Amino acid sequence: MRFIALGSADVTGGFSSWRMWWMLAKNDVARRYRRSRIGQLWLTLSMAVTVLGMGLVYSLLFNTPIASYLPHVGVGLVLWGMIAGIMTESCLSFTENENIMRQIALPRFTYLLRTIARNLLVFGHNLIILPIVFVACGTAINANMFLFLPGLLLVLANLAWVGYLLAILSARFRDIPQIIQSLIQVAFFVSPVVFKPTQLPPNHPVLILNPFASMLDVMREPLLGNLPSLTAYAILLGLLIGGWLVSLAFAGKYSHRVVYWL
Amino acid sequence: MAHIVLDKASVELAVYNSRGRALKHELFRRTVGGGVEDRRDSSVQVVKALREVSFEARDGDRIGLIGGNGAGKTTLLRVLSRVYPPTGGRAEIDGRVSSLIDLSMGMDTDATGYENIIMRGVMLGLHRKQAEAITQDVEEFSELGEFLDLPIRTYSSGMMLRLAFAVSTAVQPDILILDEVIGVGDAAFAERAELRMHNMITNANIVFLASHSDETIKRFCNRTLWMKSGSLMADGTPEEVLAAYHADAHHAAGE
Repeated sequence: MRFIALGSADVTGGFSSWRMWWMLAKNDVARRYRRSRIGQLWLTLSMAVTVLGMGLVYSLLFNTPIASYLPHVGVGLVLWGMIAGIMTESCLSFTENENIMRQIALPRFTYLLRTIARNLLVFGHNLIILPIVFVACGTAINANMFLFLPGLLLVLANLAWVGYLLAILSARFRDIPQIIQSLIQVAFFVSPVVFKPTQLPPNHPVLILNPFASMLDVMREPLLGNLPSLTAYAILLGLLIGGWLVSLAFAGKYSHRVVYWL
Repeated sequence: MAHIVLDKASVELAVYNSRGRALKHELFRRTVGGGVEDRRDSSVQVVKALREVSFEARDGDRIGLIGGNGAGKTTLLRVLSRVYPPTGGRAEIDGRVSSLIDLSMGMDTDATGYENIIMRGVMLGLHRKQAEAITQDVEEFSELGEFLDLPIRTYSSGMMLRLAFAVSTAVQPDILILDEVIGVGDAAFAERAELRMHNMITNANIVFLASHSDETIKRFCNRTLWMKSGSLMADGTPEEVLAAYHADAHHAAGE
C-alpha cells in the first residue's frame, strides 16, 4: 500500500507539472518543422502513402472492395502508429531526459507525459488522412463516432501504465527498448490492423488474448460508424485497474532509483 | 526562509557494467547461471558516494564544500538539489533550489535564443508569463541582441555560455547550488558576470559552493564542509576547515 501511495504521488505530481511536459512535447514536434517547411507533415505524407499502398494491395489479396477495405486499414495504421509510438518511445522517457533529471527534481511521470503528449500531437497530424479516406470511399459516419474519445482515453490510460513500467525498466536494463521494438513488430502482424477481425472466427484467441486487438477495436469501430464490442471494453477496463495497481506499486518501490541508473 | 537538515544521509550508487545493464544477462544469471559462478563477472559494483552525512543549514549560511576529486562533493550537491534521494538516512530541504551545475541543461540547439529562454524559464519552474518577463533581463545581460532570433547552434561557444549563464541566473532561488564560481566570456563580460553572481549569492538564503580554490571559499563563504571518501570530515569556519584539509593533504603527500 505504501508503495502504491508513493507511486500515485509521482503520477499526480507529473500531471501538475503540465507546463513542463506540454512545452517540451510541443518543442519536440516543432523541431521537426524547424529545418523543413512542412516538418511533421512529411511523416503524415509517408503514412498516407503507406495507407494507400497497403489499401490497394491487400484489398486485392483479400478480395474485398477497396471502398470497404481502405477505411479499415487507414484507421488501423494511424491508430497503430500512435500505439506503437508510445510503447517504443516510452522506453526512452527517462534515458532521453537524463541531463534534465540530473539537475532538477521533478516527478518521474512528467517525462512519460512528455512522450505521450508528443505522440498525441503527431497522431493529430496523422488524423488528417482519415477524413480524406472517408470522403473518397464514401464511408458513412454516424453518432457512434462520439465513442472514439472515451475509447482513446481508455487506450491512453492503459498505455500510460505500460509506458511507466517500461520507462523504469529500460533505465535499468538497456536492452529493453530493443526487445520492445521487436515485440511491437510481432504484435503488428497478429493484431487486426491489416486484416479485419471479422476474417477470424468470433472470439478467436488472437482477438481476446491480444490486448492490442481490443485497443484497436474501441477506437477504430466508432470512427467507422460501428459499435465496439463489450468484450474489448471489459478487457481494457480489467487491464487498466490491474495494470495501474502493479505499475504504481512498482514505481513506488523503484522509480526514485531511476536517477541513479541514468 | 530556507532550511536544510541532513540526518545520516547516505547514497549508495550501483554501477553496472554492460553485462549488468542487460536483461538477457540478468535472466541467464538468475536461471541457468546459478551453478556457474563466473569470478571475473562483477557486473554490479556498489559505490558508497555519501556515508552518513549529517548537518543543518539555516538562512544566512554560505557554505563552501571542499575535498579531493571523488570525495562526494557533487553527490552531496545533487542530494541538496533534491535530484538524488538518499538511499539511507534523511534529507529535508525546504525552499526553492536552483542548481547551476550544468548551465546548458535542456537547451535545444535547433531552437532560437528566445525560445530557449522561455523553455529554460519553464524548467526553472516559472509560468509562461513569468518566463516571458525574464526575457528582457536576459536580453540586456547577455548582450546577444539580434542573435537571439537565430538558432543557438549558430552561436560560438562563448555566446552559448553567455546565454546559458544569463538565463540560469535570471531567477533568484532560496537555495543556490554552485560547482565552482562560473567565469564566463571576455574581460568586460566576466566582470559583469561576477557582479551578477555576487548579487545572486548575496540574495540567496542558503548557498552551497563546491570549489578547489581557497580564495573563492574564503571570499564567498562563512562556513565550510570538508568531504573525504563520502564522509563529512569537518564543519566549521573556512579558515579552520581549510587548515585541517591542507594538513591532511600534506600528510597524505608526505607518506
